[in-house]
Amino acid sequence: MKFIKFTGALVAAALVAPAASADKLDDIIASGTLRCAVVLDFPPMGSRDANNEPIGFDVDYCNDLAKALDVTAEIVETPFPDRIPALVSGRADVGIASTSDTLERARTVGFTIPYFAFTFNVVTNADAGLQTYEDLADRTVGSVAGTYEAIRLEEDIKKWDKGGSFRSYQSQADVFLALSQGQIDATTVTSTVASAIVQGGKYEGLSMTGEAPYDVDYVGLIALRQEYGLLNYLDLFVNQQVRTGRYQELYEQYIGGDAPRLTVDKVYY
Amino acid sequence: MFEYTFQWRQAFRALPQMLEGALVTMQISLLSMALGITIAVLLAVGRNSRSVWLRAPATAWVEVARNTPALFQIYMAHFGLGSFGIYLSPFVALLAGITFNNAGYLCETFRGALRAIPDTQMRAGRSLGMGQAKAFRLIVAPQMFRIAFLPTTNQMVWAILMTSLGVTVGMNTDLTGVTQALNSRTFRTFELFALAGVVYYCIAKAVMLGARLLAWRLFRY
Repeated sequence: MKFIKFTGALVAAALVAPAASADKLDDIIASGTLRCAVVLDFPPMGSRDANNEPIGFDVDYCNDLAKALDVTAEIVETPFPDRIPALVSGRADVGIASTSDTLERARTVGFTIPYFAFTFNVVTNADAGLQTYEDLADRTVGSVAGTYEAIRLEEDIKKWDKGGSFRSYQSQADVFLALSQGQIDATTVTSTVASAIVQGGKYEGLSMTGEAPYDVDYVGLIALRQEYGLLNYLDLFVNQQVRTGRYQELYEQYIGGDAPRLTVDKVYY
Repeated sequence: MFEYTFQWRQAFRALPQMLEGALVTMQISLLSMALGITIAVLLAVGRNSRSVWLRAPATAWVEVARNTPALFQIYMAHFGLGSFGIYLSPFVALLAGITFNNAGYLCETFRGALRAIPDTQMRAGRSLGMGQAKAFRLIVAPQMFRIAFLPTTNQMVWAILMTSLGVTVGMNTDLTGVTQALNSRTFRTFELFALAGVVYYCIAKAVMLGARLLAWRLFRY
């Protein structure tokens, strides 16, 4: 009788007791939903189609990840400056948001191995008469606050010290609006965005003026720094996307041509 | 659930840069107050005028300024005017937006103060041989400013807080702009914005304290 009571109490305790502290990966699987922070102002990585539905490389990566986890994907639209607050406040589980893997940021947030690599172009207002990146030294330029290229461009304007000024805007759309109005003379953006915008014809008078001489910008998926289980899973996910050919497939779909290598020569990431 | 470990050292190291931003914030809000008060007095006189040519534009200004968001006004000053080839820098656009908004609210403050002053004050001045303008300047205006003084200081605090909207038009040298730039580098969002919040709070408190001291000094009998 005592044994039955004891077993009964044990079963009851197991049923009502909270689950042992699960990590984020377990939480996602248990909840059945993967919430991805994605920037939808950054075509072709993330944008909205004619029906206002999220589309783009990052959106598809979120869907692929959800499929791998056997859960439903939920896109949490997040402007560039809000990527970390979205994770920390629990609005999103993972950031698939073209986040440059700087060492300064890695003190705060956990990065995976690179899942994409960007090069940069200068986009100018055709009336500004600019030819090279160095021509920007005495001009008014701008970019999206919080992006790798914004940080580099602002640094260079300060370094040149030739009377140029830098403005940071909250969205890519504001940068192109300011550029097409002539409020700024140029911006530097990823080559993917540059070709999408210039060919898209939505903004008048914009043209690509050569490359911006920045290092290749490797971007990683992001999660909370202490979520090792999730970060390990995401690393393997990125690896699998490349080796199964899905990375190349999506690159061809959204950008075209050969996808950039995600490894750095002579170093193990 | 809030999963975050605070690293205050990094934020405190950024404090000197943020204080430089706070100076720009003060500069914009003081300028916007000086311009706003000047325009508001004119608008208040216009709104109290019998002439429809003075009353209509003053009323329109106040209606738009008070019934549309300050963010919209600042955005329009930068991108809206930009569509017509009129380019205001982020600093000027922010200043113009806040001044427009401030003038609308201050006008109502001054109008209320004007109404609180009996007509007999103006008549007394006129009976002493003063012209209308002189009687307004020497008798009515000082009383109006006295009544409107404390509400005006509230508006000054509002102006300081409104400068944070400048980030939407590319302003990156004021306190919010500097904080946003630091945040994008380090991702230490909470520490940096908490610190910026404390700086805003201190500025606002200092302004209110200063205003009370000034009021005590100016208006004691």
